Amino acid sequence: MHVPDGFLSAGVAASSWAAGASCLAWALRAERSEPEGTPAGTLGALAAFTFAAQLVNVPLLPGTSGHLVGGTLAAAIVGPWRGLLVMAVVLAVQALLFQDGGITAYGANLLAMGAAGALGGYAVSALVARLRPGVRGLVAGPVIGAFAATLTGAGFIALALAASGLYPLAAVLPLLLSLHVPIALLEAALTGAILATLARWRPDLLHGLQGSRSGHAPAWGLLVLALALAAFAAPFASGLPDGLETAASRLGFAAAARPLWPALAAESPGWLAIGRAGSALAGLVGTLVAATLAWALTRRLGPARAPEPHR
Amino acid sequence: MSPGRVLLTGLALSVIAALAPAGLGAEPVPSWSWLAWLGAFAVGALRFRRGGSTAAQLARRIVWLLPFVLTLALPAALLAAHGARSTAALALVARSLAATTAAAGTAFVLGPLGLTRGVRELGLPERLALMLEAALVALASMLARTRAMLRARAARRGRDSAWGLLLRHPLATLAGFGRFGAALLLRTLERAEAQERARLARGAGAP
Repeated sequence: MHVPDGFLSAGVAASSWAAGASCLAWALRAERSEPEGTPAGTLGALAAFTFAAQLVNVPLLPGTSGHLVGGTLAAAIVGPWRGLLVMAVVLAVQALLFQDGGITAYGANLLAMGAAGALGGYAVSALVARLRPGVRGLVAGPVIGAFAATLTGAGFIALALAASGLYPLAAVLPLLLSLHVPIALLEAALTGAILATLARWRPDLLHGLQGSRSGHAPAWGLLVLALALAAFAAPFASGLPDGLETAASRLGFAAAARPLWPALAAESPGWLAIGRAGSALAGLVGTLVAATLAWALTRRLGPARAPEPHR
Repeated sequence: MSPGRVLLTGLALSVIAALAPAGLGAEPVPSWSWLAWLGAFAVGALRFRRGGSTAAQLARRIVWLLPFVLTLALPAALLAAHGARSTAALALVARSLAATTAAAGTAFVLGPLGLTRGVRELGLPERLALMLEAALVALASMLARTRAMLRARAARRGRDSAWGLLLRHPLATLAGFGRFGAALLLRTLERAEAQERARLARGAGAP
């Protein structure tokens, strides 16, 4: 999902950098105001772990592999703001030292993987944890959160590529969303598997979600889920003109309208389209599998017990 | 030149190269774009050389990106105007590789230590600079540990392929991944906690 340099326009790169920097400034301020500080060394080590965990590539489709991104996992362990800081460091190391993701695309990558995972995924996790109290909710929440966050990030990347004039949105959004369903399931499965093991060995480490059952995070979770649903349902939107279009047509100023971003309004070419039922079906099947994963991974969770040896 | 300036010039070159017009939206590729890409690539390659790298090492570092770059560039070039598709494809690939080389050469010549000094000189918030430093310090041992754990895991798997195991025992294989990740995470956090305790014992201040 890392966008390399050279594929985002100046406007999109600058606005995503500005949005990413605002998120980081907000995270630093929010983190400073929290009563219990986490040493920078611990957060840096968590960033190094996230980076190393991303090395474990799993083959998904022919010619495609996926790996853990880790934003929702980090947020479940250290909270959303620290999770975002961890992801900012991971993405900076990747962009600077390993050329994985571009410098100009850093803002977009931070929003798509850092903010979507650590903030969006966390909000969905908090919503699920509120509905399902106990340690099972603390694991099932991030499973659903990681799934939703990966698709939200893919949707954001599709928007950024379309706004940069690279592809028409009508083609690239369903294509990227459908391709990211298996990647989102992998993210959900790995996040859940790691958290389920941690819940058995060291449940005290899962304190990122502990304070989330009150506050606004669950409401934001509903918003993220609604956005993900809207992205998959968009191809089914009616092609009939809306109220404003009808009025404009009757009053005779419809022809004066110009698209704000021509690339966003472009028609989808046939060879790039996957069919409007395709992406919705992929989203539906993916959501069902993610829910099953959340159930299966938390089925045997009970009280904490002594650590098992790593096998 | 100070690390901050080296970093700043490298990043500026990378940004100029990444944003130079590449023939999208039926516009021709201006000649200054090709010059900017050539310049960014040359400076990046020179910095690699100054850092003690060979041309083969530079190529290895950049070439692995080609599948990602081509995946984005080729379909986008098909959407370009008729007659300009091959130029747009070439320009997109050149733009991405030039910007990447400029940034990669800068990071290579600075090294991890110079990089953290550079970001401090550029005014990155101290908290983020400390985290970046800690991540870079932990990274080498973490990567070695992960590779060793992956080798051990592959050896325990025997003749079974990863997919074969996943298809026959999906939950057990997933739980194995969970144990792998959780063990790595616990070792990481425990090591960081021990380092923090040692730092405090030596009389250092709060984080």
